[in-house]
Amino acid sequence: MLEDKIIEVKNIKKICRGKTILDIDQFAVLKNKFNFIIGGNGSGKTSLLNILSLVEQDFRGEIYYKGRKINKDEQNLALRRKFSVIWQDPYLYRGNVFYNIALPLKLRNIEQSIIDKKVREMAGRLEISNLLEQSAYTLSGGEKQKTSIARALISEPEILFVDEATTNLDEESIYFFNSHFADLVTDEMTVVMVSHDRRQIKELADQITLLKGGKVKTTKTINDFNFELFGAGIETFIAELV
Amino acid sequence: MLSLPTVVVGIFVYSLISRRGVLGELDLLFTPAGIIMGQVILIIPLITALIRNIIFSMDEKLYKTAISMGASRSQKFKLLILEARYGIIGAVIAGFGRVLGEIGVSMMLGGNIKGVTRTITTAMSLETNKGRFAFALALGIILLSLSFLINFVTYFLQEGKNYARR
Repeated sequence: MLEDKIIEVKNIKKICRGKTILDIDQFAVLKNKFNFIIGGNGSGKTSLLNILSLVEQDFRGEIYYKGRKINKDEQNLALRRKFSVIWQDPYLYRGNVFYNIALPLKLRNIEQSIIDKKVREMAGRLEISNLLEQSAYTLSGGEKQKTSIARALISEPEILFVDEATTNLDEESIYFFNSHFADLVTDEMTVVMVSHDRRQIKELADQITLLKGGKVKTTKTINDFNFELFGAGIETFIAELV
Repeated sequence: MLSLPTVVVGIFVYSLISRRGVLGELDLLFTPAGIIMGQVILIIPLITALIRNIIFSMDEKLYKTAISMGASRSQKFKLLILEARYGIIGAVIAGFGRVLGEIGVSMMLGGNIKGVTRTITTAMSLETNKGRFAFALALGIILLSLSFLINFVTYFLQEGKNYARR
């Protein structure tokens, strides 16, 4: 149904140095759901996420937001401000943690007193209140990722894109991410997640899309699995297809 | 353009600002303004190349993150400049350092007029020619001190800050 699809791409083709990285006929992100994109190395997961999040402009094809075609040559600033991305290897700007978390709100010209309140609240939720005055250059990998998660969530995005957020993290940080992430995401949020973490897929996924060689090999929703055998079912699904 | 010979710049600007030049009416020849014009033309390629290298060496994630945070075109530019600010200041100081020790342009466009267009470098050249070697050497020490000071500031801005943050 049209109203269920918040973003849809059609006939997407991304070519880099003569090599086709992405060649997708149709792919849709379901509204208010956890949409997982899985696939092996070089399968085009990150490229697709960049296109969906409007970070990447250099591609052929159409992209629709709530059924309305987006002109990808335009800045689409208002639309971009409804999206946030959590990267695998986050980039933090020169300055302290507070500055980094506050940046999206500053770019939206939000009043300073509101920024102060929101940043402190978000830092509390991610247990990094003690780091707010610390330089972003001195953070550990886990602290950096928590800062970037806070930065992505502070603007209360309609769609949150997550690109293998736990791949480079230590065990403790992965545990924190897995146990807190679902609570950080609101019911109104749509999540597009590139991940290989079976626990995340098992616990969160509403739709799973497998990419192979830049193409969508298959897309399954949670209903396609046998719930009683869900654990084994999904393990087999991933094992077979990745 | 980085190795632009100073005398060539001198002749070029001389041809522009001399009485029969395109800008002859402005009476810039043998004035401090004339020297400044020549020096600016001399160092613009150097500063541009240094800043270009700094910008191109910035992490690509800086741009992607800015887009993902909802930055407009001008906000992206502002974030880029803020991230590269120490490098940019360093490039400007490096350009200033080159101008500081420059003699060709100063001599040709300034004319080494005492109290008007005489710079440390042109004075050193004159004093050496006059045989007042010790005086020229003393001026040289002042120039060298200035140069060290600029190098120190450049190092502090480019490396020192980064080192402290590593």
